[in-house]
Amino acid sequence: MASNKKYWTSPMELKDSSIVEKLSKVEFEKEIPTDEFLGDKEALESSSTTRRDFLKYVGFTTAAASLAACEGPVIKTIPFLNKPNDVVPGVADYYATTIADGFDFANILVKVREGRPIKIEPNKDASSNNGTNARVQASVLSLYDNHRLKSSTIGGKTSDYTSFDKEINIKLAQAKVSGQKIVFLTGTMASPSTDKLIAEFKVNYPTTEHVVYDAVSESAALDAMEAMYGTRALPNYDFSKADVIVSVDADFLGDWNGGGFEKGYAANKVPVHGKMSKHIQFESNMSLTGANADQRFALKPSELKFALISLYNEIVGGSLTSKVTLQDAAIKKAAFQLKKAGSKAIVVTGIQDENAQLLVLAINNALQSAVIDTTNTKNTRQGNDTKVAQLIADMKAGKVGALIMNQTNPLYTLGNTKGFTEGLQKVALKVAFATSPNETTKACNFVNATPHYLESWGDVSMQNGQYSLMQPTINKLFDTRQFQEAILSWNGNTTSYYNYLKNNSSSFLNGKSWNTALHNGTADVVTSTTVPTVNAIDITAVGSALNATTSSAIELSLYTKVGLGDGQQANNPWLQELPDPITRTSWDNYLLVSRADAEALELKNWTVDNGAMNGSLVDINVDGVSIHNVPVYIQPGQAKGSIALALGYGRKEGMQEEMMTGVNAFPLLNKTGNVSITKVSGEHKFACVQLQHTMMGRDEIVNETSLHDFINLKKDDYNPRPKFSLDHQPVTADEADLWTKFDDTIGTHFNLAIDLATCTGCAACVVACHAENNVPVVGKQEIRVSRDMHWLRIDRYYTSEMTKEKGTEEGIVGSGAYFNAQIHPEDQPEVSFQPVMCQHCAHAPCETVCPVAATSHGRQGQNHMAYNRCVGTRYCANNCPYRVRRFNWFQYAQNSEFNFNMNNDLGRMVLNPDVVVRSRGVMEKCSMCIQMTQTTILQAKKEGRAVKANEFETACTSACSTGAMSFGDVNNPEDKVAKSQDDNRTFRLLEFVGTKPNVQYQLKVRNS
Amino acid sequence: MSHYESPLRETLILGDKSYKDISDDIAAPIEGKANKLWWFVFGISLVAFLWGVGAIVYTIGTGIGVWGLNNKINWAWDITNFVWWVGIGHAGTLISAVLLLFRQKWRMGINRSAEAMTIFAVFQAGLFPLIHMGRIWNGYWVMPIPNQFGSLWTNFNSPLLWDVFAISTYLSVSVVFWWTGLLPDFAMIRDRATKPFQKKIYSLLSFGWSGKAKDWQRFEEVSLVLAGLATPLVLSVHTIVSFDFATSVIPGWHSTVYPPYFVAGAVFSGFAMVQTLLIIMRKVSNLEAYITRDHIENMNKVILVTGGIVATAYLSEFFVGWYSGSSYEDFTYLSIGAATGPYAWAFWALILCNSVFPQLLWIKKLRRSFTFSFIMAIIINIGMWFERFDIIVINLSRGHLPSTWTQFSPTSIDISIFFGTIGFFFVLFLLYARTFPVVAQAEVKSILKSTGSFARKKEAEAEGRSQDSLAKI
Repeated sequence: MASNKKYWTSPMELKDSSIVEKLSKVEFEKEIPTDEFLGDKEALESSSTTRRDFLKYVGFTTAAASLAACEGPVIKTIPFLNKPNDVVPGVADYYATTIADGFDFANILVKVREGRPIKIEPNKDASSNNGTNARVQASVLSLYDNHRLKSSTIGGKTSDYTSFDKEINIKLAQAKVSGQKIVFLTGTMASPSTDKLIAEFKVNYPTTEHVVYDAVSESAALDAMEAMYGTRALPNYDFSKADVIVSVDADFLGDWNGGGFEKGYAANKVPVHGKMSKHIQFESNMSLTGANADQRFALKPSELKFALISLYNEIVGGSLTSKVTLQDAAIKKAAFQLKKAGSKAIVVTGIQDENAQLLVLAINNALQSAVIDTTNTKNTRQGNDTKVAQLIADMKAGKVGALIMNQTNPLYTLGNTKGFTEGLQKVALKVAFATSPNETTKACNFVNATPHYLESWGDVSMQNGQYSLMQPTINKLFDTRQFQEAILSWNGNTTSYYNYLKNNSSSFLNGKSWNTALHNGTADVVTSTTVPTVNAIDITAVGSALNATTSSAIELSLYTKVGLGDGQQANNPWLQELPDPITRTSWDNYLLVSRADAEALELKNWTVDNGAMNGSLVDINVDGVSIHNVPVYIQPGQAKGSIALALGYGRKEGMQEEMMTGVNAFPLLNKTGNVSITKVSGEHKFACVQLQHTMMGRDEIVNETSLHDFINLKKDDYNPRPKFSLDHQPVTADEADLWTKFDDTIGTHFNLAIDLATCTGCAACVVACHAENNVPVVGKQEIRVSRDMHWLRIDRYYTSEMTKEKGTEEGIVGSGAYFNAQIHPEDQPEVSFQPVMCQHCAHAPCETVCPVAATSHGRQGQNHMAYNRCVGTRYCANNCPYRVRRFNWFQYAQNSEFNFNMNNDLGRMVLNPDVVVRSRGVMEKCSMCIQMTQTTILQAKKEGRAVKANEFETACTSACSTGAMSFGDVNNPEDKVAKSQDDNRTFRLLEFVGTKPNVQYQLKVRNS
Repeated sequence: MSHYESPLRETLILGDKSYKDISDDIAAPIEGKANKLWWFVFGISLVAFLWGVGAIVYTIGTGIGVWGLNNKINWAWDITNFVWWVGIGHAGTLISAVLLLFRQKWRMGINRSAEAMTIFAVFQAGLFPLIHMGRIWNGYWVMPIPNQFGSLWTNFNSPLLWDVFAISTYLSVSVVFWWTGLLPDFAMIRDRATKPFQKKIYSLLSFGWSGKAKDWQRFEEVSLVLAGLATPLVLSVHTIVSFDFATSVIPGWHSTVYPPYFVAGAVFSGFAMVQTLLIIMRKVSNLEAYITRDHIENMNKVILVTGGIVATAYLSEFFVGWYSGSSYEDFTYLSIGAATGPYAWAFWALILCNSVFPQLLWIKKLRRSFTFSFIMAIIINIGMWFERFDIIVINLSRGHLPSTWTQFSPTSIDISIFFGTIGFFFVLFLLYARTFPVVAQAEVKSILKSTGSFARKKEAEAEGRSQDSLAKI
């Protein structure tokens, strides 16, 4: 029906409608005299435009058109109308919060500039979990992921939360009526308030169940703890108390038990009064932990179990039957040392087998180890594999009416997704809470877009006696809703989660105010002192069960890498581009194979003409499950007969195409059958940034010594300075100096110190540097051809199979055969890590060669790089002995060829406004975070004081969990770097070149 | 005869030429029409040149990343080509200036083209330092131009800046020297020209040369002065180019032997390029009488000497590196590590082309063979390109820290630009051959009658002419 409403077009209509009527018919008061003008042919012809006029018009219009075309795009910056109280443009705010994504847990500080979180830093005031790994550092970029879920959907259609909840409530009621189970399937949240919410939900819906599922599970360890101590939680370890550490396949410097042990471990790695800890590692694939060990022994996964039994026998004096392994002598020795250290010894294991875990608990119990803490246990892994299996069975049986999933992606991470998919079809209500679309959200009819943790409220209890708060650092970017808000709504509770949390937290805050706790980000709760009683365990049964493990020709282990972990941040380009500390390969996972096995199977890695690495491909088959075309990486240190594949790769859903890297290893999880690998045709193109793995006889690059030499020899014997001949006298580089001396004792003179004894190679600093300095992501192909842009890299060296002594013995030193043998690492090498960034040489070779003086020396000791002045001759990079300069080969920002975070508005929000984004054709490199040091100086100036000792920081030093990196002013005698510069362990990289670097290295002492 | 001529003086110009014959011979390519072969070669060169221009435009528009370089090997084909072309540009000045001072009259037949080659080669060389810059649009910052940027000034410590001055000085002195020599020849063409346009152009080019005695006197004087100025440049340019490497700290680059060794290498490669061009040119432009077997042999002797210096330098580099006992010297471009490593093919290309094959020139028969000399010249050109490639790429690929070792492989753009400059070089040289007097006819006329009677007799016998014809000259 047509509307009868009458609309006025103007107030005139009210007064005199006739005018309006007239106007509506005739738009112009007078008719336009077109006929007069065009009708008169003669007049038209005579009104000629002269040639001059014509040219004028043409000139004017062309000029006008081209001027109009010249106008640049207008980007509006909108200033605040009213300045918010807590935002001062140019001044960063820091908020304490907590990351708890089910895999990584840490107390952190978030640097916020103009309302945008741009950097994660560890909350060093927190009493525990105060370190950040690479993934935590990179998580700020996941906030600005363009592929995030931007609103909630029902059956793929965008929905508002009112109707979303309405439909869910109906379905929940149906499930309740039919008596079907309502299951919450979540990752480890360790959130007391969420647990309480679920408990409240259970009151309304008694059939509710909460199943915790970890993609990378520690279920066996939890089961063992439950069996022995009655608590289903992970024991805590304080490695700083350990004199002897024996680890059987526990990557405790990596993600074992949720990580966070590196600080305690490092505390004992520097010899004090001739004493330091001894770390012995038994493992099958080279882990970060194994690479740091004083002694490392490679064993196949099955042999590791036998080794554990032998270890138990040696220590406890038991007589469990154990099969023989290749390393029984080493086990005997380790056991001897453990016994000697008594309560200062610890054995840890990462074997996912309840029996193995029980044995280790028994060993530690027998040792009366003070390192292990079974009272104040950790909550960072709570997954229960048995319950998950039960859930899948229930789902298949149609017993589950509603499945609500949060922080979990079972359809990607479950070993057997088929059963889950089958079961899921029988569940009426499938709700997924996720920040990004993934395999699971695709299979669910209700998808709730959740905010990133930097946009959320929450609380986390990472270990008993510890309580952390999570607070938003930015307003929600999208129309998202937290899991907890949803449960509140389903519970019929109208309070916001913020209020709920605030009320609930009071019981944890130990009398502190909410504001104080929020400011600190964490609160220490009273810790329990009641030591749990030890239940009797039938060790004989445990031992024989473990000994029943069958060995096979090839055994597979699955591990997580420093970069991607369990794969939930797989769409994060910083993490994809981060070279793995061990393999130094990025943008991939690959099958690690030992050299011997590779030769037997004719698998190869080779270097192609442009210096990039290629490798063979294999098909893996375990128990009938196959993965095709898996690239092979020949890994020194890999136990013969064992292979390893990293989890977390091969995701396809909700991912940008560039990030769909690697193969998904989860289908092989918990498979125990026969493993076979067959070579297939084709080759894989790796993105490996280090192609030469040994030091080629240049051992002074990463200087090392043994504890014995360190105690017994003079400094000049284990850490000699290079000598030059001047007037036939041996002198050091300082004395053989041709340059004019400057007085650098006035003012600030920066030094960066890197302690190789405590550096674990974890690569958190690499990502921190990436974030702080707007380092571009260049993608797999560019990394492949050695165009990585990381300002800070961690070189990793293996010991070579050819030493000078061996060469002399064979009489081949200096021959081609000698050099070609030197290139190859040993099968069981010792590993050295060395972070290398611009060394800020006092006599910088780069500075003298730049024709336009774009790189020159600062008064504070830095080597500056003036991007504006650079014309890009790259001479500086050629003349740098450390090869730390990075050239902008292309325009990396706002270029669709490099479609990473700098190519979209959302991703660019992470950029640090204090650091310029470099354009194509200029050189860049580490600046010693000059924007941070200047802020420190200006802050002190504003407060009218001198800069305090150890107040200076750089992105890498603040990210370093172990304190291996420190930065400061050598002219301030109180600064750590001033003290360390004359340390017996200090050396400068390539000192003989005479560059006088401002970066100190402290050599590693191996307790071997 | 106005002065005494030794009866033993060798023949410099073959055949029974009169002064007019010389004028006719030299003016023939300019006055005549180009043959099909010229158009064919010119067409190919032009296409290569334009292709190269396209590759350069693409590079400037997209970024240096279109080349095969990386963060460890920041120079490769670009600077290899630069040093190669600069080296080639050395023969011209050596022939025209140094040989002038040493009164080597045989140079007169070849100095014009050798100088032209020098200038065109320096054009190609100058291109690479320009286009290898990441931001070529700011390239003028390398010049010490007073500016309003504040206290910004060039860095006079940088060898790259010395290059800028060395190359530009060399280019300008070479051009002036070349042009001075061209004046009487342009005047000759001008005087013969019948077409008004041609006459106009050549009279402009000849700067009003009148042929008066005063003109000739000044001409002789300025030639000597310029030769005196140009002679140190022969040594300085490549010395300074070698400083790019020698003053650095990189193993294999940091070497005090570089300056003399680079100069010798440059003359070596320059003469090889002169051979390449002239052996063809004497046939195509009918200059057999002026560019003789003796010329080729003389140049081969220079090649042998300079090649010997270069080979000695290789040996000393190899020995010193080995003798140092430093593990950092194990993989420099002249080391056992390089000879057995991934760049062994480039190492052996250098050794064979520059030090082994040229030894065949000790054999007189081969030395005097046009075909063999041409092949040898090509081999040396290739060898000298590899020398620079090895110095740059092998040394950069094996730096101080083994973790940074990598390799380099050129992209199609690298290759296109290199062949583009070869095309550009030949475009210029072919245009020169059609428009410039390719032999310094004024000078050549001065040696027409210098042949000693003994040599003349021998020549006449060889050609079966009667003794009477001698009287004609």
